[in-house]
Amino acid sequence: MRAVIALALLLAGMTASVHADERGVPIPHGTVELVSEQQSIQPGQTLLLGLHFRLEAGWHIYWINPGDSGEPPRLEWHLPAGLRAGAIEWPAPKRLPIPPLMDYGYEGDVLLPLRIENTAGMAAGKTVTLAADMKAIVCREVCIPARASLSLSLPVRAERPHEWAETAALFSAARKALPKPTPEGWRATAKDLGDSFELTLHTGRTISQAWFAPLEPEEIENATPQKTASIKAGIRLILKKSDQLLKPISRLRGVLVLPESAYLIDAPVAPRTGKAPKKGAVR
Amino acid sequence: MKRGSACVVALVVAALSIVALAARVGEPAPNFTATDSNGKAHTLSSYRGKFVVLEWHNQGCPYTKKHYDSGNMERLQKEWTQKGVIWLTVISSAPGTQGYVTGEQENDYMRRMNAAPTAALLDPTGDLGHLYGAKTTPHMFIINPDGVLIYDGAIDDKPTPDQADIPTSTNYVSMALKEAMSGKSVSTPTSRPYGCSVKYAH
Repeated sequence: MRAVIALALLLAGMTASVHADERGVPIPHGTVELVSEQQSIQPGQTLLLGLHFRLEAGWHIYWINPGDSGEPPRLEWHLPAGLRAGAIEWPAPKRLPIPPLMDYGYEGDVLLPLRIENTAGMAAGKTVTLAADMKAIVCREVCIPARASLSLSLPVRAERPHEWAETAALFSAARKALPKPTPEGWRATAKDLGDSFELTLHTGRTISQAWFAPLEPEEIENATPQKTASIKAGIRLILKKSDQLLKPISRLRGVLVLPESAYLIDAPVAPRTGKAPKKGAVR
Repeated sequence: MKRGSACVVALVVAALSIVALAARVGEPAPNFTATDSNGKAHTLSSYRGKFVVLEWHNQGCPYTKKHYDSGNMERLQKEWTQKGVIWLTVISSAPGTQGYVTGEQENDYMRRMNAAPTAALLDPTGDLGHLYGAKTTPHMFIINPDGVLIYDGAIDDKPTPDQADIPTSTNYVSMALKEAMSGKSVSTPTSRPYGCSVKYAH
């Protein structure tokens, strides 16, 4: 019996390592890899890449604003001369409650897209290697730093590139998960109520369920439940101000997350009326 | 009758302490009494007249390790306590969670690390952590000699677990203490604290 268990464990271990070799670099509680949407680079055309995390159940990485703890993954690129890597394009985050705190991030399988630009100088016929050192923190109740040296080699070809069948579904899901620009006709405004912000979105339709993820840390208390009220042709949210926000802000930027979609929001903040705002200077 | 008014006073005090729950820069820091790793009680108000630093701590957290394994935190503790600052390390990890220690374990750790805070406060109920709204390890607070909170935030401006980032980072705690001690206003009174979540009891 013991031998059977040992064999089963051995096989499980082997499967795991084969899995890791084929599909990304092992990191604590998951794997990470650089993937490309296309099979080749066409000079002058943007190339879409993705940083693909696959995490064990219960483990997460972080959004650009990680919330109350953690930090987002970072990439340090080593690219052939001339090429430029754009910033990560962040899919809408999930709320990750760790009472009494609240983090923002991603669990399970997530692809963080980014673009490689300025490919005009690449000579057709060559193969280029895109390499990056990745740093992240992988957390459940506890956090473990993760580092990986990632690379991806692609041929440069004059003709229009073919897409990889293997990654097509990943990139299409990633596109869907990206917050969309504020639609034409929407109007986003905010009001400083003293201890909270009132964010009003006129969207042309009633929205019954949504929450707001702020791009900047320390603007709102992440863990305080957001009170929402459906209004005629829109939604209104009350966001409790962070205790650490000492100065008035002029804009509230972030992502409005709906059950099936997400939108970038940039709302001007009307200052508090009546009493003068509290002085921020501290001696 | 006497007993009745004492009750009223107790209720008023309880209500006040609930109102003053949040620690907010520019306002009086909430008072507390907590027990250190040697069983000694420390009351914040008894340190009036001195600067007090509160440092939230979890010895298993990679961000805490960054500052202890590099010797950065120990250096700060020595530098500022020598200048008369009261430095209180606070451990709010609940029993059974990462970073929870008994007094003896904490004393062993401090000896091993050459740590030099004034004291290490044990807060397994998380009461002190909740009172200050401590979110991460580390999370730093500074209270001035008048008992006013003058800093709430990160230890420095490089939110990573990498020791290599320490030499090039700006230490917000040292900056705030230097500024406040020379009579200037604190230029960065808040920042996003970075690190592991404090392991509170659920």
